[in-house]
Amino acid sequence: MQTLNDLFLIVASFFRGIMGSLGFPPLLTDAVMGLVSFVAVAALVTVNIIVILWVDRRVASFFQERLGPNRVGPFGLLQSVNDAAKLIGKESIMPAAADKRVYKLAPVIIFTVTMILYGFLPYGRGMSPVNMNAGLLFFIALSSTSTIAILMAGWGSNNKYSLLGGMRTVAQVISYEIPLAFSMLGVVMLSGSLNLGQISEAQRGIWFVFLQPLAFFIFLVSALAELARSPFDMTEAEQELIAGYHTEYTGMRFALFFMAEYANLFCVAALGATLFLGGWSGPILPGYIWFIGKTWFMVLVILWLRWTFPRARIDKMMKFNWKFLIPLSILNILLTGVGIKLYQYFTTVGR
Amino acid sequence: MFGIGLVQGLYTTAKRFLMKKVTQAYPEVLPDLPPRSRGSFGFDADECISCGLCAEACPNGVIKVDYFLGEKNRRVLERYSMNLGYCLFCGLCVEACPKSAIFFKTDFDLACYRKDDTLFTWRGNGYRPSAAPESTPTAGAAAPPVARTAASEPGPAAATAAGAAPSAGKGA
Amino acid sequence: MRDSSIGSADGAAGSVTAVAAEARAADPALDALQTEEYTLNLGPQHPSTHGVYHAKLRLNGESIVGCENVIGYLHRGMEKLAESRTYAQFAPYTARFDYLAGVLNNWGYAMALEKLGGIAVPERAEYIRVIVAELQRIASHLVMLSSMVIDLNAVTGWMYAFTAREGILDLLEAVSGSRMNLNYIVAGGVTEDLPEEFEAKVKRTFEDLHARLDDFDRLVSGNEIFLGRTRGIGVIESGQALEYGMTGPNLRASGVDLDLRKDAPYGIYDKLDFDVPVLRGGDSFDRYHIRLLEIHESVRLVEEAMAGLPQGPVRTKLPKAWKPAAGEVFEQIESARGIQGYHIVSDGSAKPYRMHLRSPSFVNIGVLPELAPGLTIQDFVATLASLDIVLGEIDR
Repeated sequence: MQTLNDLFLIVASFFRGIMGSLGFPPLLTDAVMGLVSFVAVAALVTVNIIVILWVDRRVASFFQERLGPNRVGPFGLLQSVNDAAKLIGKESIMPAAADKRVYKLAPVIIFTVTMILYGFLPYGRGMSPVNMNAGLLFFIALSSTSTIAILMAGWGSNNKYSLLGGMRTVAQVISYEIPLAFSMLGVVMLSGSLNLGQISEAQRGIWFVFLQPLAFFIFLVSALAELARSPFDMTEAEQELIAGYHTEYTGMRFALFFMAEYANLFCVAALGATLFLGGWSGPILPGYIWFIGKTWFMVLVILWLRWTFPRARIDKMMKFNWKFLIPLSILNILLTGVGIKLYQYFTTVGR
Repeated sequence: MFGIGLVQGLYTTAKRFLMKKVTQAYPEVLPDLPPRSRGSFGFDADECISCGLCAEACPNGVIKVDYFLGEKNRRVLERYSMNLGYCLFCGLCVEACPKSAIFFKTDFDLACYRKDDTLFTWRGNGYRPSAAPESTPTAGAAAPPVARTAASEPGPAAATAAGAAPSAGKGA
Repeated sequence: MRDSSIGSADGAAGSVTAVAAEARAADPALDALQTEEYTLNLGPQHPSTHGVYHAKLRLNGESIVGCENVIGYLHRGMEKLAESRTYAQFAPYTARFDYLAGVLNNWGYAMALEKLGGIAVPERAEYIRVIVAELQRIASHLVMLSSMVIDLNAVTGWMYAFTAREGILDLLEAVSGSRMNLNYIVAGGVTEDLPEEFEAKVKRTFEDLHARLDDFDRLVSGNEIFLGRTRGIGVIESGQALEYGMTGPNLRASGVDLDLRKDAPYGIYDKLDFDVPVLRGGDSFDRYHIRLLEIHESVRLVEEAMAGLPQGPVRTKLPKAWKPAAGEVFEQIESARGIQGYHIVSDGSAKPYRMHLRSPSFVNIGVLPELAPGLTIQDFVATLASLDIVLGEIDR
């Protein structure tokens, strides 16, 4: 059982051993292992996108009393492959008056940022491709750079609808960074570290969702707004702005935006699973199985919310953020601090 | 309490998630259509008396009745064509026919690949392949004429192109 | 006279532009900030304009400063077509005006012809007309409910209402053979009698309809996000609605109790017992909610008419080339979207000299240039959806 748990670590140390015996300098060994983990992460991202595409369509259909794609492959499993092939085959049309460099760079940036974020997730004990001590902080900082990419897409398309979508995104994402960060602060206080691996470690006893239900709720709402998922998807509001910031994108460039959205979804769900649902800690099964399972649970909850609720209005959403969520998240920090002190007092006094 | 509506919505979608789905696996499962359903048209050439009431009743000029005067000066139907591309499926022709020679059928699967296939032609009892020269088929419409009886199934016009075939008698 | 400030930058008090104007007045630095208004074309190709409707919006940021309706993208020349078709031949075309409520159009036209020619309609036909017309009204309102929620991105709600509509369309198919553009109500009665087993089918369909509507109601009507998007948005006061000549559920949602089925009853509506829901708010939520209530009233009407169906013929057949006496007639009915009227001028021949449709949606969208300033784009989409327009009858 322990072997199964440490499967990837055993494989990695095996490779290191080979390279060491071949006489590689340690720097080269580290570089090669870094390359291997990069390939693994990229493969994981791609596989995830394909699976989430299928799950999204089937789950949406099931909520709507219909079956969803079930013709292409068994249970429609090859439908995402079909969609990807279709998008690759389409012509990438660029508007004549678009700002060419900005327009072309936007999908690249957004997808790259999302892929980088996958490197920080703790897939198991000691299985973080990038093990940074300020991992959580770096994660939040990086995920907000996708805002620039969306604004670039909105501006570079030379289309009023895209610009509206881009501007809405900037307002929304920047505003919801604050409750997102504050909700995570409670978890950081409880675990005493910004390292995602250590946060998972600290939940061996009890998951933080039971200690911080309010923070979990705030995190869920803010994450939805960060992802620009319904009910906060005014940035790409199909019924108002046609397609928002990616109106003028077709073919592979649109595919990159599309993939980035789904990859981001999985990423943020994984973050939520790490912070609140215990990450890789769990009995019996190997750590990475628990991690994947919990992440998929979060993904399904997010999809459930997406397919039930209508879209909020942008100014009401901002009011909700500034007047309700932020005070609530500050209250949560206060309560967490008080709670920690009381816990310390009672455990030291009782001894 | 704020949020109760949201929770009720979540409960509703979760409930429907688990219920039986309403999708019909077409074409393995064909829909159960009522007998009056207006799909395609059926034509009984034996009943038709070439009165032309159907063509007069049609709002769009879909029907064309080609007949000639045979023995005892009776009308003999040569060809009955319907240009379904223009048809509204309103049923005025079916209503107008005194003999119920034209009637609705429930097969709705009328999609075809060529525009010529939207012209449905039935051969009447007086169909004379040699007497009236067939009009030139449009490019791509060449197909061997199908031998059929008077009350047979309609199909894409084998040798009749869209447009008038010069008829020996008065067209309706 | 209403002091309507169409196109000005001051919206109603509390609106986004008013708040912005106040902020500018308070802070000199903000006032010095130069902003520009821009024109945005909402439509004609747009996912939520309910057809090929085009609104030229002048926007200040995201709030609308001016709005202009541009229509005509679906003009098919139907009124001119009527002049070259006989009266019976034109009947199928009428269903294509308001294609979501086909039979109601047929009924208006049939009533106009009956008045023109003095034709009597058998009693059984009148009952059947009510049954089929109310079923079509339910289907039309279900389309409005579902398209309103999908314009607000509640896709699941749209699917539930459309699945409920499928049941109604199956009933209509059983009666006439067509699901949408029924050519069923004609001058003189209805074309065919009801099929057998119809009552049982109706009962089953209504059970399913009630279950789905309950789910839809629970999913949408109490949803705080939906309420936030529609409560207080696009408020049309009763005086304003009457000035613009609005009719139908839009008018009744603004507090004016006007329903032709009660106030100027035609057919056998005076014998049937039903209520006309009237709401006072006049906002988008009320226009949504009133259609939900009207569906329940229509269900009641259908059940009542089915219970009271007399025996007898269903059609007074007209001669083939019917030539009414010269003259003109205007008959109106309460369609799903408002009062629909047919003005027919006959010169004694078999074809009408002039046929004009008084279309409720055409009149209803007239309020938009006054309603839009002060709304954001999102509110405009919600308001447009709540007005329930059909381009087929606007453009003809």
